[in-house]
Amino acid sequence: MNKILLFFITILFSLNAYAVTNVTFWHMEGVPHRVDRIQTLIDEFNSANPDINVTQEVQNWGEIYAKAPASVAAGTAPEILVGIPDFTPILADMGAAQPVEDFVAELDSKYGFYQKALDQYTYNGHTWAVPLWNMGLSLWYRKSDFEAAGIEPPKTWSDLKKAAKALTKDGVYGIGLPGNKQLYTDQTIYSFMVNSGAEEIYNSDGTLRFDNPQTVAAYDVYKELYQYSAPDAANWTWGEAEACFASKGCAMILQFTVISTYDSQAGGDASDLGVIQIPYANGKAHRAGTVSYVNSAMIMTADEAKMEASKKFLSFLMEPGNYGRFINMEPGLFLPITEAGSQDSTYWDDPVVVKYKSQVETMLDNSTRGSLFGFTNGNTFTSISSISAQNLLAQTLQLTLIDGKSAKDAVSEGMEIMTEAIE
Amino acid sequence: MIKENNIKFIFLSLSLLLIILIFFFPFFWIITSSFKSPEEIIATSTTIIPRSFTLEHYNKILFNSDFFIYLKNSLIVSFSSMIISIILSVSAAYGLHKLKFYGNKFVEYSLLVTYAFPGVILLVPIYLLFAKVNLLNSYFALIIVNVLFATPFAVWMLKAFFKLIPNEIEEAAYIDGASRYIVISRIIIPLAAPGIASVSIFCFIISWTEYLFASILISGDNLKTLPVGLAGIVGQYQIDWGFLLSGAVLASLPVILLFVFIGKYFVSGLTEGAVK
Amino acid sequence: MNKLKSFQHPYTRGAVNSVKKNNIEGWLFVSPLVIWICLIILVPIYIAFELSLFNVKIIGTSGKFVGIDNYIKLLGKSKFLNASLNSLYWIIGNAICQTFFAFTIALTINYKFPGKKIMANWIILSFIIPTVVVVVIWKLMLSSSSGVINSVLIDIGLFDEATGFFSSPNKAFISLVLINSWRWSPFLALIILSGLNSINREMYDASKVDGANFIQQFFFITFPNLKSVLFVLGLVGTLLSFNIFDIIWLITKGGPSSATTTLPLLIYETAFTKFRISQAATLSIITSFLLLLFSIIFIKLMAPKEDD
Repeated sequence: MNKILLFFITILFSLNAYAVTNVTFWHMEGVPHRVDRIQTLIDEFNSANPDINVTQEVQNWGEIYAKAPASVAAGTAPEILVGIPDFTPILADMGAAQPVEDFVAELDSKYGFYQKALDQYTYNGHTWAVPLWNMGLSLWYRKSDFEAAGIEPPKTWSDLKKAAKALTKDGVYGIGLPGNKQLYTDQTIYSFMVNSGAEEIYNSDGTLRFDNPQTVAAYDVYKELYQYSAPDAANWTWGEAEACFASKGCAMILQFTVISTYDSQAGGDASDLGVIQIPYANGKAHRAGTVSYVNSAMIMTADEAKMEASKKFLSFLMEPGNYGRFINMEPGLFLPITEAGSQDSTYWDDPVVVKYKSQVETMLDNSTRGSLFGFTNGNTFTSISSISAQNLLAQTLQLTLIDGKSAKDAVSEGMEIMTEAIE
Repeated sequence: MIKENNIKFIFLSLSLLLIILIFFFPFFWIITSSFKSPEEIIATSTTIIPRSFTLEHYNKILFNSDFFIYLKNSLIVSFSSMIISIILSVSAAYGLHKLKFYGNKFVEYSLLVTYAFPGVILLVPIYLLFAKVNLLNSYFALIIVNVLFATPFAVWMLKAFFKLIPNEIEEAAYIDGASRYIVISRIIIPLAAPGIASVSIFCFIISWTEYLFASILISGDNLKTLPVGLAGIVGQYQIDWGFLLSGAVLASLPVILLFVFIGKYFVSGLTEGAVK
Repeated sequence: MNKLKSFQHPYTRGAVNSVKKNNIEGWLFVSPLVIWICLIILVPIYIAFELSLFNVKIIGTSGKFVGIDNYIKLLGKSKFLNASLNSLYWIIGNAICQTFFAFTIALTINYKFPGKKIMANWIILSFIIPTVVVVVIWKLMLSSSSGVINSVLIDIGLFDEATGFFSSPNKAFISLVLINSWRWSPFLALIILSGLNSINREMYDASKVDGANFIQQFFFITFPNLKSVLFVLGLVGTLLSFNIFDIIWLITKGGPSSATTTLPLLIYETAFTKFRISQAATLSIITSFLLLLFSIIFIKLMAPKEDD
């Protein structure tokens, strides 16, 4: 049925326009083997669709927030732009990102998106991007460390504090937690907030509810744990935390994955690598969750033909058989976002995924329970971009970690800064 | 006298030690580290003399990334920027030095004051401007900007070199009936050659190291310069330090090689050419 | 204030001075460069100025005309004040560090010692490598878990435990100043060295006869004779170090707690993470104005008199 439809579309296209439709695909996965994998898929797609020509252009995360709006303003924007939830509202506000709820519904009926995935892109009455893959923060450790210290992996915050203390010894930091004004820190502090019942940043009327006792509790426990972190954690991003863990400098870290670094730079003993759900506040077991980032593709063109071509390419990527290979451009980092994708054999066949199967399963399980600040329970407002792009959760954290204010004062000052930012 | 020489000797040794430690040791460490195994690079017990040796990082970067494309782009952009900068600056410096025209002091100072407009300020307007005239995603976009950053200082340095050329030589040529063009091409440029060489290298370096504009004005992989390419091959969520270090060494290598051959002209041009 | 006579270098003393005022030809020679620079600076500045009169948030969207509202609001903002102070400290810190390093290098290389040639040729290394590489080098060197500096300082007993060089506002600021000075000092040193070489040797010999030691020589001969070199380095150096963006952005992003947010970073942040492009344009215009003012004052006060 689909094939017939595609055939017709192809016929229609060849009738309407003899020219090849060009689609430019911007993404920020510049590591060479990721670029290669995407190119392989693009080549397959292009040869199967002679009327469409997809080209990828790799951008840097560092500048994309400046470059994408500038390219829209200048009329040089790509047809497809990969992004994270924080970024979409800006482009939606500009009128650049096109609503895609019909297309997403179509994919949903075929492959079944996890519900929380769509949360991050549905607001203002539309769905603004096509979810591509998921990433969720988990707690990573070495099983042997816990055995040696005679303790169990932590479930609650008090377990976690005990573990961090017990594992801190000569030259080893109990837990590596970042403290800089950066996305990674936003993610780690929010993963604590989720687990104390403070995942909502907004009230349903669009005002902020950030300043509440649950948030303060999360900031408090973070501050307490931070003393067991490395001294240069104030300047960490994901990579430094991973290196600290891989070199056994940190006993535990919060991270999307450590698998590839662990495998290539730390011996790669799969049986010793532990990963669990982020601990929750005592008595909040039902809250157990994490922070997750659903990466997605925005369609940035209103041109009918280009839009169809873009959708066709995205459908191609989401198709089982292609999908597993697509997200395995970085095996053990990007997680399936659809039910069908999570059963795709091309996903589970990758040697790295085979080797770390139990870890990947835990990651996947955690990620499906993930949420993202500002994109919870339908209380989503585009002003969240100002909060996330400026890393205000992390900035608030610095008020207590670096400037030494109490968690309570920091959170209330943070609330003021956020209120000003979303005006 | 002997006492003063002793103090001198102590000062000299101390400052030499300081210079070697601060300005040379980091290179030694980074280069040796780029040959270390991944485990050794991130190990908590840091080694100064490497314990392991591997070429895997270089292998990866040379054969699995677009390194050579980035290199080609950087070379094209830097050389073109250098040549255009030099032509424009030699002409301007000569004009400012020899032809005292109305407003020359103003022009001279204004040139230096162009540095009062930070690159960050120009970023967005230049992007919009270049989009309008269809210059985005082209070598020329980067060249235009690099020339802007290199020339003001280049003019000032060149002017100093021109001052060293005795007036009599030029005068004599005019008396013999030489035209301005002949004087410049046959006398001024050859005599100021060491100075021009070192200023050229300065312009080359300015273009070679530029990051901000190259990262914004170029979006296609086939046109990226080395610094931008290098920043891009590092993943957002994981850092492969070995990869990054070998990339850092390789990104520096071309200028270093260039310096092996012409470095002495740069330095002697600058230091013996008396900037006044 | 046009000096009709060209400055005569000692080498050219006695030359026939026949330089005439030559308006048309002079402008012809400088105009290609002047036009190039004007186009690339004045047009963008005009675009920025226009933006600053509106309240555009995201670049490319439209905004309301607000006149000088942005300017009035901005001047009272504590963020602006904080960034201006940071920029001031940044300039001063860099000036001190770079002067120290540059003179140390220049005076050292000016002496004869084995290996002098090699050192003179290669001291420039830190200037010729891309900024991105500078960042990689120092991030790794200063890392608290696998950095060589921490481990050496602990080994020789200076530190008890690893320190985070970017963990507190002051440490981060000082570390960045040092890294930036590391990058620029060797280049400045070479320029100073060229100035040193142009000083007449006889002056030193004469002062020796008068019994001056080498410290006195430095302050009474070396330093005054470098005036014109130091003037340009002072002007351009200040402007350039004010403009430093990439090193700070790539290492600390302005943190921790905005301690390293200088004005260029604030402008970038306002434009691209806060998405207040008009506010960023306003900041840009004010910043340019301040720098222009500084330059004019500096030139008026310090410009060397070029007559003989």
